[in-house]
Amino acid sequence: MVDFIQTTIDGLSIGSAYSLIALGFTLVFGVMRRINLSYGPSIMLGAFAGTWIFVTLDAQPWLVAAVTVAGTVAVGVYVERVCFWAIRRDAAIASMVSSFVIWMQLEEVATILLPGRTYPFPELFRTGGVEIGPYFFRMEYVTTLTVAILVLVMLRLLLFKTRFGLALRAVSENPAAAAYMGIRPGRVIFRAFVLASLIGGIAGYLLLAADQQVTPYFGLWATFKGLIAMMLGGMGSIPGAVVGGLILGVIESQTQWYLGNAYKDLSSYLVLFMVLVLRPGGLLGQGIAEREAQAFRRI
Amino acid sequence: MLEVRDLVTAYGTIEALKGVTLSAKQGEITCILGPNGAGKTTLMYSIACILKPVSGSVKVNDTEITGTSAPHALRCGIALVPENRLVFHSMSVEENLMAGAYTRLSSDRAGVQADIDNAYARFPSLKDRRAQIAGTLSGGEQQMLAVARAMMSRPKILMMDEPSLGLAPLIVAEIFSIIRQLNDEGVSIVLVEQNAHKALQIANRFYLLDQGRVTFSGTPGEIGEDDFIQRAYLGSKVA
Amino acid sequence: MSEYAISVASNMGMIAFVALSAYVILVVGEISFGQQAYFGIGAYMSGAATAMWGWPFGLALAVGSLSAAAAAFAIGALTIRLRGLYFAISTLCFAEMLRLWLNSVHVRVEVDGEMVGPDGAEGFGDIRWIFENDVTPLEFMFIIYGLLGAVLAFLLLVERSRLGAALRMVGQDPLLARSQGIDASACKLLAVMFAGLIAGLGGGLYAHFATYIEPNVFNVMLGVHGLAYGLIGGLGTALGPIIGVVLDIGFLEGIRAIQGYRMIVFGGLVAILLIVMPRGILDETRVYRIKRWMRRT
Repeated sequence: MVDFIQTTIDGLSIGSAYSLIALGFTLVFGVMRRINLSYGPSIMLGAFAGTWIFVTLDAQPWLVAAVTVAGTVAVGVYVERVCFWAIRRDAAIASMVSSFVIWMQLEEVATILLPGRTYPFPELFRTGGVEIGPYFFRMEYVTTLTVAILVLVMLRLLLFKTRFGLALRAVSENPAAAAYMGIRPGRVIFRAFVLASLIGGIAGYLLLAADQQVTPYFGLWATFKGLIAMMLGGMGSIPGAVVGGLILGVIESQTQWYLGNAYKDLSSYLVLFMVLVLRPGGLLGQGIAEREAQAFRRI
Repeated sequence: MLEVRDLVTAYGTIEALKGVTLSAKQGEITCILGPNGAGKTTLMYSIACILKPVSGSVKVNDTEITGTSAPHALRCGIALVPENRLVFHSMSVEENLMAGAYTRLSSDRAGVQADIDNAYARFPSLKDRRAQIAGTLSGGEQQMLAVARAMMSRPKILMMDEPSLGLAPLIVAEIFSIIRQLNDEGVSIVLVEQNAHKALQIANRFYLLDQGRVTFSGTPGEIGEDDFIQRAYLGSKVA
Repeated sequence: MSEYAISVASNMGMIAFVALSAYVILVVGEISFGQQAYFGIGAYMSGAATAMWGWPFGLALAVGSLSAAAAAFAIGALTIRLRGLYFAISTLCFAEMLRLWLNSVHVRVEVDGEMVGPDGAEGFGDIRWIFENDVTPLEFMFIIYGLLGAVLAFLLLVERSRLGAALRMVGQDPLLARSQGIDASACKLLAVMFAGLIAGLGGGLYAHFATYIEPNVFNVMLGVHGLAYGLIGGLGTALGPIIGVVLDIGFLEGIRAIQGYRMIVFGGLVAILLIVMPRGILDETRVYRIKRWMRRT
């Protein structure tokens, strides 16, 4: 029982970082009904910028964090301009494929920038963690969880208490009607992209600081984890992204603990596949499935 | 007030408007009639600067607004109540109203709040449901909300696209009385309607649009004289 | 032809199967990130057929592609009510599950005193049909292109038929198709199954060309490349995916000068292409215009 709870705690902590990545996905998907496959690779390239100043200038962790986030946002802006802004509003598949070829581009830029495979990423704390009763809380995980909760609270305030949040929700629901109100959907999409990159950069930094290393594969990994978590919860749903991320984290850590490393990824795909087959809208996204799908189908 | 001259708007190579000229006078209700596909909605979108016309001009109080942006048209006093209402289903009534005042939301908080109170005074049923999600409102209430939302931008000209679409006769009557009331308060109205009988009862002036051209214009009193129009668009005699 | 040219051409031919298979699903209006799974099933099954069971090559290819089609049918039936991104992700899920599962599949049998068969992540080596029968790389390339030509000819024929029109209508507007009495779900299932068959055939060829396969060959990059080729070439005709493959591998592989920057150049070019032509080079409108022009002259 102690093991089970300890594994759940670890899973929730990692899961909170997944939630953040899924949030970035869901924000962008919600506002433009298109998928950005380059989301993970943008974070990866941002992190490469971070590790580059760490390796060459021996920068402080906070500076690495700032560069990682700023780099992610810069790459995110590039992706938005090339794959989404420039492509006709009704060509969702073209946008997606375009975001894929840009992904290949980003990966190559990363390997040219730093030709090795694995690079160190500065750890946040040298101390291990805290013990409460029989449970051990890794310091990185505590930080991840805290930051994730903080980001969530701020995001909620942003969405429901500000003018930008109002515009973002209006565009998510109906871009045409939003335009009649004088909202410029293109501008809102751009800002949503920046916001998503910001969140992604933070999530990426937290994950990599816990791992203390970064490889070009992080892009693929982050895109997959984000997609799975988002689909688990239901596309375009913010609570869905959070719940999806946490569930994914717990499933992974439990299967890793009880069945071994080999089944960690397999189990998360299996769960998602079953959710899709049995409950196509995701766990929290009931009813919207058909609408999203229709919007997405306007190729 | 609103002057439209030789307006041509095209979707690709297909011209939906082939040179439309019309004017809406201050304080009047101007009605645009015509069959499906005549270009009525295209005309509204072009006036509201949502679509960019190929040529021609749209002037509001002698200010040229052709080809500017929707926010600019809104600031010049043109608001649109779109066909099918298009309220934001997942947002509350109050948030819908705030979205209507989006262009001055940050600069004029107090004014926006005052306008929200005005809207509630005009539509008491919305006040009771201010926190309710708009998607759960009835069709009639959604239409009221759409009108109230458009009024939030303090328009001089309110354009309404088929406000009676899909509503029960009693609700339609209510909507039309609201239109009249708004007009009495000095808002000029441009009304697109299929329900020609109803529309002609309150209109000061009307235009017939067919295949992207104005084929007839006049006052409701004049329409009875032209038998063709009556048969084509109204079916029977106007009372 | 040099060894290198033959190997590049053979690779092009084999990935064209994946591109065609992704294209068939694009035609019915869905996206698949998972065609590599059927490529993999075809590779493992037909590899096993010759190397482990000693079957003839032709029969092995048939077994590979038919089992891929059967798997595609089963997965297709499960996911038939999913649309758009949900469908796309379900294909990805299946492909990744298969790949991860293959990592733990160990079926070793003794053939001529040696152990052969899939050995989990260690892969499946010694598929030696090509050596045992003295097939030169050039001959094998002809086999690849012969089969590719046959598949392509068949697809072009289908596209001219009523079935082809029905499939395209399902892709454009399933509701309209249904109102015309077309069973949209059956059409999709048929397309998914046939796409599985094509990918499986390509996989069978690949196993015998490479003589060694491992689960990681069939990762998502393979499928998404196939998908990208399908879209780059254009959604208007089955020739489109071939153009996509030729453009990327044939053309860019040839330019030695940009080696190391290949993906940057290619990615940029494709991004620009998609901005100008969001439905690929040979989209429906352009195919129609070309056909009209050919009829006139």
